[in-house]
Amino acid sequence: MYAQTTQLIQREQVGPGYHLLEFDCPQVAAAAQPGQFVHIRVTGDWDPLLRRPFSVMGTNEAEGSFQVLMRTVGRGTQMLAEAQSGTKFDIMGPLGNGFALPGPEGEVVLVAGGIGVAPLIFLATALREPGGSRYIRGLFGARSADDLCCWLEFSGVCDEFNAITEDGSTGEQGLVTDFLPPQLKRGTGCVYACGPALMLAEVARQCEGAEVPCYVSMEQRMGCGVGACLGCVIPTQADGTQRYQRVCKDGPIFDAEVVDWEAIHRGCTPG
Amino acid sequence: MAAPQVDLSVELAGLSLVNPVLVASGTFGYGTEYGELVDVGRLGGICTKAVTLQPRAGNPPPRICETPAGMLNAIGLQNPGVEVFIGEKMPALREFGVPIIVNVAGESVADYVSLAERLSDCADIAALELNLSCPNVKRGGMQFGIDGELTERVVAAVREATELPLIAKLSPNVTDIASIGEAARDGGADALSLINTLLAMSIDIDRRQPMLANVTGALSGPAIRPVAVRMVWEVAQAVDLPIIGMGGITSAADALQFIMAGATAVAVGTANFVEPGISGRIIDDLEDFCQQAGVACAADLIGAAHGSSDVEGLQ
Repeated sequence: MYAQTTQLIQREQVGPGYHLLEFDCPQVAAAAQPGQFVHIRVTGDWDPLLRRPFSVMGTNEAEGSFQVLMRTVGRGTQMLAEAQSGTKFDIMGPLGNGFALPGPEGEVVLVAGGIGVAPLIFLATALREPGGSRYIRGLFGARSADDLCCWLEFSGVCDEFNAITEDGSTGEQGLVTDFLPPQLKRGTGCVYACGPALMLAEVARQCEGAEVPCYVSMEQRMGCGVGACLGCVIPTQADGTQRYQRVCKDGPIFDAEVVDWEAIHRGCTPG
Repeated sequence: MAAPQVDLSVELAGLSLVNPVLVASGTFGYGTEYGELVDVGRLGGICTKAVTLQPRAGNPPPRICETPAGMLNAIGLQNPGVEVFIGEKMPALREFGVPIIVNVAGESVADYVSLAERLSDCADIAALELNLSCPNVKRGGMQFGIDGELTERVVAAVREATELPLIAKLSPNVTDIASIGEAARDGGADALSLINTLLAMSIDIDRRQPMLANVTGALSGPAIRPVAVRMVWEVAQAVDLPIIGMGGITSAADALQFIMAGATAVAVGTANFVEPGISGRIIDDLEDFCQQAGVACAADLIGAAHGSSDVEGLQ
């Protein structure tokens, strides 16, 4: 893990409120694994106070850079969305555990909801690297065509690709999870998903029913990013024990079987 | 000519600290979380994440949210309990070679006493910090720290149970913090920590519900600094005990405000989350400040803003 000042090389708007940011940081570019995140300080001052976590979407080891995809939701992300190339940012990373790689058998299905596509693009890219012959099917769902940001990047690293929008403005109409059941019947070896919590809960439910291993990338408001503050927990259960685990340190990738989806449905109240 | 050496060391509750910069409870885990990023061995000391008798799961999420120049938290004292702390956390904490101040929290006087007895048997604990001020738990916590009689009673009971130096951590959620400080002194505290967080709340207007699952939370960060400086000032005037000052410290200049208000040492809290190496920077900058100001011993600055006559609590 590194903590250092890095430079924003490029910022590109890739949809309404969506920006693709590329940072010059050879250390993170070399070290980051799919599923890991970086924790970015948006100001040298103390307001807004906390760093913002972003999944790494890709790395370019030759250039020594990495990319994150962001959506403007508040003051901090607004500052990033307006940043000029050349601006310096204090970055910690790569943080978190990263995706467990799939077993040797079967195809891989990636289920992305909205901006959750970012870590799955990185994962698919890694699975396709020389020597990787994994067949990858991508499902990408969003509210509307505007929210299917970076779908070209995603489809480009998948062998099969389906876009699904809730309003039908692009691709199939419906929820991304409506299109998962047939995929699970096709000899899928592993499912990876990232998106809204309720989407992940449904993906997890379907995978459990089909007895297909499933890994999810979870999100939570985050403080320190290194496991100290215990601010970013989610409810989990394993061996009958319910507890809270840290998204930043124990995750952000969790085996879908250990996440306490009922508690998440109930408003995250285990026990 | 080399600049003259500045002596940053301070004495506090019988502890000799190489410098007055600690890290505050709950903001530095059990040290190892930051071992990769921070030269922990440089710290004046570590106040651990609160330890309770039994393991605690903590509060449901969401547990934190950002506020102007600050944040709310409602962690709810999640910790593995004192036995796991001694068995699994202390061995790594010892390795840092700095004073370990263990923050303890209970739901009853008996809890605090049991914790103190158990921790007294554990080697290399420099002091206990009695958490009388956590606003995020239903029982115990802040209910002690907002009541002078209870404060005195719990401190006195723990005093009987251990020879470890006792530091009472005070809540700011009171009208007269000096009187609580006096109560802790009367119970036998060796030092005071202040301030803990301010009870606070934030509402998500889109979802029309509180931002935190716990509804209320604890405000920390630069937003609370002026409140904290004022309270350190008031307690320093009233109570003849050394103070660890804290509340939104982000720089040596901030730390100096607390020291000049009467704090013997300071603790960096929420800023650790944002800039893990900040305590080292503050130590360096304190040294620079002293050099430039011609101050040979940082301890000479304790209470400097009070003038000479009106201070009870300054050494």
